[in-house]
Amino acid sequence: MTSVFSASPVPTEDRQLAAACAAGDSRVFEDIYRRFGDRMKSIAWNHLGNASDAEDAVQETFLKVHRAATTYTGEASFSTWLYRILVNTCYDVLRKRKRRIEEAPIEETAERTAPNVDDTKRIALRRLLDALPEQRRTVFTLFEIEGLSHAEIGEILGISEGNSKWILFATKKELQEKWKRSQ
Amino acid sequence: MNVTCSQIDDLLFDASPLAMETAARHAMECPSCAEKLAEWNEISEVAQSMRTTWTNDMHWPRIDRALREERRRRPVRWLWQVAAAIVLIVGLGGTVFYGIRVQTHDAAFDRDILRLTALDDVERAERVHVKAIGKLERLAGAKLDDAQSPLLISYKEKLMLLDDAIAECRANIDQNRQNAHLRKQLLAMYSDKQQTLQDVMREDNHVSSP
Repeated sequence: MTSVFSASPVPTEDRQLAAACAAGDSRVFEDIYRRFGDRMKSIAWNHLGNASDAEDAVQETFLKVHRAATTYTGEASFSTWLYRILVNTCYDVLRKRKRRIEEAPIEETAERTAPNVDDTKRIALRRLLDALPEQRRTVFTLFEIEGLSHAEIGEILGISEGNSKWILFATKKELQEKWKRSQ
Repeated sequence: MNVTCSQIDDLLFDASPLAMETAARHAMECPSCAEKLAEWNEISEVAQSMRTTWTNDMHWPRIDRALREERRRRPVRWLWQVAAAIVLIVGLGGTVFYGIRVQTHDAAFDRDILRLTALDDVERAERVHVKAIGKLERLAGAKLDDAQSPLLISYKEKLMLLDDAIAECRANIDQNRQNAHLRKQLLAMYSDKQQTLQDVMREDNHVSSP
C-alpha cells in the first residue's frame, strides 16, 4: 500500500508551506492543489457521495487553511493537517445535511481507478458506509479506499495507531455481516 | 503454521502479508473460513475501486477566486475585529470603573453612616451628662445665690467662667460636629463643672455642720 505522505516535505518545509499559505501566496495554494487535490476530492467524495459537495468541501478546506495557517505548529505533516481539516469539513457538511433531513444522492458518474468492479457492489458498499458512524467510515475510507497507513489515519483523526487498526477491524466485521445479507 | 478457525479473526486483525497468507492457506482446507475470507477480501477490493478521480478544470480557478475574495475581505474582517476588541475593552473598562466607583461610594457611604452613628452616641451620652449636671446645678444653685463665704463666691465665679467656656465650645462644635478635640474639651469642662458643683455641695455640708 503506497503512502501519500512519502512525497511530503520535511517539517521545516511544511512550516514554510504553512507560512506561505498564511501570506496568501496563490502559487503555493495551486501547488498544494496539484499535489493533494485529487486525493482530497476522493476523500470528500467518499464522505459526501457527490462531486458537487466534494468540490465545495475541498474549496472550503483551502479557505480554512488560509485562515488557520498561522496556527500550524508542525506537529503533524502539512498533508496530515490538510486532510484533518478536510475530514472535519466533510463532517460539518454531513451534520448540516442531517439537519436538513435530506438524503444525499448517490452519484456514480466519477471515474474509477478500478472500473472493472461491479457498480452494483460499489453502490451496495457505499450504502453500508453511509450508515456507519463518522469515525468508522473515515477510518475505512482512509485505509481501504485511499490507502493511508494506520499511523497517518491516527494523526488525522487524533487517535492512536492501534485504535485505528481496531476500528478498521471492527468496521470490516460489521460490514461483512451486512455484506453477506445484501448479496 | 497450522491455524484453527477460531484464529482467523486474529489473522484478519493483524492484516500483515504473512497473516493474510496464513489465513489463505487455512481457507484452502476450510470452506467456512474460505467464504469468510472471500467476503473480507471482496470488501477491500470493492473499497479500492471506490477511489474516485474526476477532472474539473473550473475547480481550481473557483478555489483561487474564493481565496482572492477571502484575502480582499481580510483587512475588513481585521478592522471589524479591532473595532470589536475596542468596544469590548471600553465596555469592560467602563463596567469595572463603574463597579469600583460604586464600591468606593458604598464604602464611603458606610464610613459616613458609621461616623454619624458614633456621633449620635456621643451626643446622646453628652445630653445625659448635661442633664445630670443640670440637676446637680439646681441643687447647688440656691446655695450659690446666697454665697457669703469667699470659697463659695470663688466657686460661683469659676462656674460662671466654665459656663461661658462651655457655651463658646458648644458654638464651635455646632460648626464642626465631628471635631473630636472640641468634644474632649467640652467633656473636660463638664467634668470640671460637675466636680465644682460637688465641691459646692460638700462646702455647704461643711458649713451646715457645726
